[in-house]
Amino acid sequence: MKVLVTGSNGFLGSALVKRLLETGVKEIRCFVREGSNRARLDLLKERFPSAQIEYYTGTLNSHEDPLGAVKGVDIVYHLAASLGGAPADMFLNTVVASKNLLEAIVTENPTIPLVHISSFSVYGVAHLPKGYTITEETPLENHPERRDPYAFVKWYQEKLLLEYQQRHGFPLIILRPGVIYGPHGSALSGRVGLQLGSIFLHLGGSNILPLSYVENCADAIITAAEHPVSGVSIYNVHDDDLPSSRSYLRAYQREVKRLHPLPIPYPLLQLISKGVEWYHGYSKGQLPAIFTPYKSANLWKGNRFDNSKIKSIGWRQRIPTAEGMRRTFDYFSAIEKESSA
Amino acid sequence: MNQRLRVAIVGCGQIADGHISEIQKLKSAELVALCDREPLMAEQAALRHGVAQHYEHFEELLEKERPDVVHITTPPHSHLPLALQAIDSGCHVYVEKPLTPHYQETTRLIRYVEEKRKKLTIGHIYYFDPPALALRELVEQEIIGAPVHVESFYGYNLSGPFGKAILGDGKHWVHQLPGKLFHNNIDHLLNKVVEFIDDERPMIVAHGEIRRTVRFGDARDSMPDELRIMIQGESTSAYATFSSHIKPMAHFLRLYGTRNIAHVDFVARTLVLEQEPTLPSALGRLLPAFNMAKQYRRQGWRNVGRFLRSDFHFFAGMNELISRFYHSILHDTDPPIPYRDILRLSWMMEEIFRQLNHLEEPS
Repeated sequence: MKVLVTGSNGFLGSALVKRLLETGVKEIRCFVREGSNRARLDLLKERFPSAQIEYYTGTLNSHEDPLGAVKGVDIVYHLAASLGGAPADMFLNTVVASKNLLEAIVTENPTIPLVHISSFSVYGVAHLPKGYTITEETPLENHPERRDPYAFVKWYQEKLLLEYQQRHGFPLIILRPGVIYGPHGSALSGRVGLQLGSIFLHLGGSNILPLSYVENCADAIITAAEHPVSGVSIYNVHDDDLPSSRSYLRAYQREVKRLHPLPIPYPLLQLISKGVEWYHGYSKGQLPAIFTPYKSANLWKGNRFDNSKIKSIGWRQRIPTAEGMRRTFDYFSAIEKESSA
Repeated sequence: MNQRLRVAIVGCGQIADGHISEIQKLKSAELVALCDREPLMAEQAALRHGVAQHYEHFEELLEKERPDVVHITTPPHSHLPLALQAIDSGCHVYVEKPLTPHYQETTRLIRYVEEKRKKLTIGHIYYFDPPALALRELVEQEIIGAPVHVESFYGYNLSGPFGKAILGDGKHWVHQLPGKLFHNNIDHLLNKVVEFIDDERPMIVAHGEIRRTVRFGDARDSMPDELRIMIQGESTSAYATFSSHIKPMAHFLRLYGTRNIAHVDFVARTLVLEQEPTLPSALGRLLPAFNMAKQYRRQGWRNVGRFLRSDFHFFAGMNELISRFYHSILHDTDPPIPYRDILRLSWMMEEIFRQLNHLEEPS
């Protein structure tokens, strides 16, 4: 079996390639950009000398490059997405890039399964009560334009994939992870809070943090891909034993570095968000609308999460949350020590 | 002419977001439609900004929407054909910088717009930032005196969103421009110089180099990121610096006149004057520091006032330029940027890139 992985040298991508190799996949085509950092993939090449790890160099922003990339593969894992930058660029590098990949798939082989990594951010939970449990049946966002650029592009990306699947009928497996974390990832998710100058605004309070340790997430992707599907399958992905935002932040401070956290209770955050949104409109955008009541309700009101569907097809959390956090904090702690030395 | 201009934008990349926001603030215009040859790009911009119509094909937009003005925010190679098409449909055009990739094309476009009695402007937005406008007032009041020398500095952030896009893609359109990274940016460096050097063909000496150490093995490796330019006119000289490495990223203009030296800081949005000491000896050396502190304090409070009046936006210059351009259309006056300056700047850029690319001098 030959697989294609887009975003293969990224944080989750390289973890997925590693797990694919560990589970016995022998032929992996890694779609990489010209000049991108392939250090982690190079290490895997050394570690798995009998496997064929092919670097397919190109960009998903072109019409031509994806055509060659999907040729001869049996399954596509689509992980490439833009995590930051200007909204138009994020859209171009995520949604338009996905369109080019989809066009290549339906041109070359419209029957190969596509495994897509979406996000919890595609759900529209602003109007749902606090503590509402998010399942795969939870409605998707109705107002993506009111969300942050990342949520906007991930919502659009998934919508596009579903449209193509309806038109062409290829098997589509969508995984919606929560907060993917681990060494080489980001230290603190926006669901915990935001750094503002020297102050860390702790916005998550006692909300459950839907963590997904990067290797567990890779396992979930492989489990879902191996499960037979004819149309569309959608799975939420997060670990068990989830900590609260508060306890995660405490552990981070204990193990990695001291922050200056300023806890903002949700009712106060809503008040601030209303003020920020009002000022943004009043001043015609002099300051960005980082907080709006709508965005805040989606991220910080507090939901519960359900991963029973991915478990029902055989996924089990391999790395316990305590161990995942320990590895992550050890990594960031080493970086902190290095930078202060 | 309608009292409220119907405006359309073609090209829905990063800079189009700025245009959309600024047009939507104006009472003199209504943004009616967006266009991008990638329909998803047009759709996302329309959805995020609440624009009613979006199109994949420019001719369809022109035919159905009948705009009075078209903003062209596509990559530079497409500026000329799109501008000609818009002008042929009876539109005035605001074209993002660089106007076109070549002086010959710029000349053709300017002649065409004049011949068709339409108006054109180019995205020289910093030229209309509040401190730049204040400088022009000082020049008109002859406070600076006759310009002797100009120093223009433009710092560029290669780690910013656009810099990342350029360095992340060896096939990015910036790499196809004759002047590569400089071609997309030094309009902002030179438009402040052109204003004070009146010569048609000043003497230019340009030097570019690559300071980055990371190599990709493609077009990105031949993209210079540091540029120094000497310009000598008959009565005024200039020195222009483009840097991707100097930190903090500065953006300033120093105008050296026969009476005073003006320093315009486009980042801090300040304008201060260095003046002749009025007292002799050591006392004359003591006072300038206090004089400068007083000027900066005054400028700082002026900016606070602007902020409190919600008049301190990132794209203040773009808003002013668009307002003036629309005003020139509605009242049939001269456009805000003289065509002669646009042409002279285009020639300067062509000459700079000729030197950097070691090409023969045109006969």
